[in-house]
Amino acid sequence: MATEVARRSRPPVVLALGQVRYQLVLLLRSPLGLFLSIVFPLLLLVCLKVITPARPVDGLPYAQWLTPAMCAFCLLNACYVTAIIGIVLAREEGILKRLRGTPLPAWTYLAGRSGSAFVTSVIASGVIIATGVAFFNVSMIWHALGYFAAAAFLGIVCFFLLGAAVTTVVAKSETALPIAFGTMLPLAFISGVFFAVSHPPAWLHDLASAFPVAPITRAMEDSFKPATQSWPMPVSGLLVVLGWSAAAVVVIALAFRWEPGPAPAARGLGRSRHWLRRWHHAP
Amino acid sequence: MGGSPAGQPPAIVVDGLCKEYGKVRAVDGVSFQVRRGEIYALLGPNGAGKTSTVEILEGHRRRSGGSVRVLGFDPGAGDRRFRERVGIVLQSGGIDAELTVWEMVSLYAGLYARPRDVAQTIEQVGLTAKRRAKARTLSGGQVRRLDLALALIGDPEVLFLDEPTTGFDPSARRDAWDMIAGLRRSGTTVLLTSHYLDEVQRLADRVGVMSHGHLLEESTPDALGGRDVSGTVISFRLPEQLRASEIPAGPWDQPEDLAGEFTMHTDEPTRVLLALTQWAVGHGVELPGLTVVRPSLEDVYLRITGQAGVGAGDGH
Repeated sequence: MATEVARRSRPPVVLALGQVRYQLVLLLRSPLGLFLSIVFPLLLLVCLKVITPARPVDGLPYAQWLTPAMCAFCLLNACYVTAIIGIVLAREEGILKRLRGTPLPAWTYLAGRSGSAFVTSVIASGVIIATGVAFFNVSMIWHALGYFAAAAFLGIVCFFLLGAAVTTVVAKSETALPIAFGTMLPLAFISGVFFAVSHPPAWLHDLASAFPVAPITRAMEDSFKPATQSWPMPVSGLLVVLGWSAAAVVVIALAFRWEPGPAPAARGLGRSRHWLRRWHHAP
Repeated sequence: MGGSPAGQPPAIVVDGLCKEYGKVRAVDGVSFQVRRGEIYALLGPNGAGKTSTVEILEGHRRRSGGSVRVLGFDPGAGDRRFRERVGIVLQSGGIDAELTVWEMVSLYAGLYARPRDVAQTIEQVGLTAKRRAKARTLSGGQVRRLDLALALIGDPEVLFLDEPTTGFDPSARRDAWDMIAGLRRSGTTVLLTSHYLDEVQRLADRVGVMSHGHLLEESTPDALGGRDVSGTVISFRLPEQLRASEIPAGPWDQPEDLAGEFTMHTDEPTRVLLALTQWAVGHGVELPGLTVVRPSLEDVYLRITGQAGVGAGDGH
């Protein structure tokens, strides 16, 4: 036990990169993660393309709209849904608690997860776009590709942060999947991920505009239109995305949990009741 | 005894520690110290406050009152330098089912400034044959070995073991005990919790008995409850040649009929035995059925924790 040798902790950046690698290994070994992030959106792309009548959207072929929309769906799955399910499972299995007892700084764990979500999103979007180009005559709009990438990056960050924030209210692993899909799917529907919402009722439009899925999806879709010459996200949309991201950061900072079980106050209470029973039954 | 070099401060200092959940005090004014290189056991029934105490020392839980120092650090401050130097074996969980033994241990080695050798650590916990196996294929005992490997990989100066052998079969417990005893040789300070008396007897240099949030007694396992000197039971049957009224060093508990056993609880077994045996030898007879029984650790433990239950209940 050589205590005389100084222990200089590893640089956080190195630890964060190690966490990215760790999360990617976990993802590769989890059929659910791969299915959600890559297979599911790809299946949907093919199915929707095949069953939907060849009706143009905004004067462009259907697949030209559907392909970037499915990329947005990839981001929702790879970042939001995977963050909720992955973090809650790791928390309930005690993995987060164990990591918390090591010199790993708290933020590097989330950095690892978000890094892995980023890599997955890039690969999944690449697969979707390549499939669209190869089989559905989708044209690459090279001059707007930067806009597409920027909008997607905003989506990755925002959806991941929201997912990490939502984990604070998920009490147990069984409810992680229903809560993730129960919140994501309705938003995706009204935000033009599955169907081109051309002329929605005003209230639906307002509702969708209050959440970050609509501006990000819209910007990604617009980046696949040849006519797009400038940044396709209005300032109001950008503010919505940044506002939700900032709120998520606050929630994570205040309420992110490393230990299994319901929120700490409730757990302490439950435990003390249990303990009280023993107390009164003691000989 | 795991003595520490003169002048070295204790590895763990707990002073007046309190932990409240709502209005209930799970830990109520607990104080103890653990020397460097010592194996110290917190012994007590479920709900005694052992895990709360250990989790506060690990930095997993915040204390409500009192002061705590581990290697000079306040564990509640969440200092990385503190976490570099301690190892934690949780009661359960925390293993990625899809990673192999080698991957898990390597992953955790990568988190520490000065990790131990991965292969050597896996060998030490006896998992070399299973190093390529995914964690989900391991037996319960093997998972606990992996637990220990993950706690040891950072080369900790202080190791926390929360009920390290609960749920083990007897042979797995023996193996775990050998491993923990092996840590003593490397100079690691160990704080373990247990509700197994034989475990504490086998492993610990010192033991603190906890019940209802209080530390009731602190001693070596052999001397717990004054067990090394007090409460010895001496018994024998009266030979026909001798009369009951002449038995020395009384009072003895008399049997219903003279063929039964005379017994005595005494704190002075040596003096009583000497008088008794001198008397018998003087009359030239053997004492049939003569036995001298020290109270078992279990008796002492039940006595200590039982008293506490009554006393603590009054104040509630």
